[in-house]
Amino acid sequence: MYVTAWLPIATLLTQVLTRGGTIGWREAAAIVFPMCLLYSFICQASWYLCRAVPLRIAPPGQRFESETVRLIGSHATAAVVSAAAWVAIGWVWASIIGSTFNISGIASRYVTQMPMLFISGVVLFVIAVAFNYLLITFEVSRKAESKALELQVLAREAELKALRAQIDPHFLFNSLNSISALVMADPAGARRMCVLLADFLRGSLKLGSKERIPLVEEMRLAECYLDIERVRLGARLKIQRDIDPECEACLVPPLIMQPLVENAITHGVAPTIDGGVVSLQAERNGAGVRIVVENPVEDEAATKNGAGVGLKNVKMRLANLYDGDARMDVNQNAGRFRVELQLPCDRELRT
Amino acid sequence: MRVAIVDDEELARKIVREYLVDLEDVEIVAECANGFEAVKAVTDLKPDLLLLDIQMPRLDGFEVLELVGREVSVIFVTAYDKYALRAFEVHAVDYLLKPFTPDRLRKALIRARGRLDSRQPFPATEVAAAARPPGAHLERVAIRDGANVHVIPVSKIDYVEAQDDYVCFRAEGKGLLKQQTLGDVESALDPAQFVRVHRSYILNIDRLAKLELYAKDSHAAILRDGTRLPVSRSGYARLNAVLK
Repeated sequence: MYVTAWLPIATLLTQVLTRGGTIGWREAAAIVFPMCLLYSFICQASWYLCRAVPLRIAPPGQRFESETVRLIGSHATAAVVSAAAWVAIGWVWASIIGSTFNISGIASRYVTQMPMLFISGVVLFVIAVAFNYLLITFEVSRKAESKALELQVLAREAELKALRAQIDPHFLFNSLNSISALVMADPAGARRMCVLLADFLRGSLKLGSKERIPLVEEMRLAECYLDIERVRLGARLKIQRDIDPECEACLVPPLIMQPLVENAITHGVAPTIDGGVVSLQAERNGAGVRIVVENPVEDEAATKNGAGVGLKNVKMRLANLYDGDARMDVNQNAGRFRVELQLPCDRELRT
Repeated sequence: MRVAIVDDEELARKIVREYLVDLEDVEIVAECANGFEAVKAVTDLKPDLLLLDIQMPRLDGFEVLELVGREVSVIFVTAYDKYALRAFEVHAVDYLLKPFTPDRLRKALIRARGRLDSRQPFPATEVAAAARPPGAHLERVAIRDGANVHVIPVSKIDYVEAQDDYVCFRAEGKGLLKQQTLGDVESALDPAQFVRVHRSYILNIDRLAKLELYAKDSHAAILRDGTRLPVSRSGYARLNAVLK
């Protein structure tokens, strides 16, 4: 394929060689075609040089010139050397043909055409270099494209993984321990707890595989989680809910509230001796929906921290999914820790 | 054997009690809902054994052990397996993972009984070090004062002073004594925040107002509240390295 591309060039060079009128076209062809075959390989080798001296957008300032000089210099040197070598080999070849087929004076007649051939050689080399740079640039952009695609896939996978990892296994162990304690003293309570736990697990598995779910389902799951924790924490956990029915149909990413309520328990209520109120609120806010989770928090310095991973994940998910149309605000004031989500209230899935 | 149950969850205490009442020669002397109550129970009631949860409000299981470990054996009871290694490093008798069977608890108690007669001297310092994940610095100091416990966040500490076998934590105008060496305190605190300025002093650099030269090679640190602390030559070098 590459070599056949050189056929027209060889033909052209034959024309060049016969131009002087001193070489017949048959002789010219006999010299030029093998020479072109050879030169096609030399030009192909320039690809390595292009790789070694990549085209770069020079940083602003002084380095630009030295970079350009280096680039042009190396290619010019390579072009001159290859063209000269090529023409010299051509002369040797012409002499061989001359002596083998007994065509007298072909070598000396060839010499008269040498400058012309040399210039053609340089031009061809430069064209080859330009062509190679084109190829390299094309390859780079294709690689960048596949890399971007790969990253997209990775981000998606990370998102799914985050969803699955959201259920803290210690939540399960503690719940099982509660059930174990209830079995003798309060069998009905143990059964109720089993059902709650089953509902929660089933819900989070089912909802986690969807892209968007109505807010009412998300709220139900969060409340189910809090009901389970209330069995464990007893009177220390009080729950307050204030959900505007208006926003129940809004579509939200599944389990987006789960890290918030989990955080409210593990870093809010559980580390306090007297416990407190966890409140869930949701209301319409213009075209969107505002979701607020609030919990009590101990004097910051006295508690061991470690919160924040779950919240960071939520923030990242929102940024990925809504591209700046959603926001999360966290603040702490007068012993209350408050996380507020503002999402667009979609009625159908965005693409 | 006299046992105290320590867990912040009522149901978790309930199941331990339920398992224990069937056992002969086990007497439940206290049920505690947090670490403070546990220290008080150990002081007042002198139980032989604590069944101790780890994740509790304000004062966690390791901190309780650090404070009362000389007087009582401990079996940890927790849903987290990640503390198991550290628990045995601090000579806990056993480590029960929630939920557990009555049999498992019985085995742990047999172990505890075996240990009662041959109790080793208790390494409180090791407990303090093991209570932290590797690489983490101390975030709060728990100090026992009889049946009471003071918890000081390290950010509130002004400086720490060595006093014979004790160290004195100075915070908010008060001084609290703890039996520990200054070297152990130094290695537990964040070195970017607390600097050993002298053989007998560790300083919270946030409290430093200025440094005065008062003799050749000898400095004094003036704190924001006017306190003067001596700074040794090597302490001055350490201080300079941190402040840079």
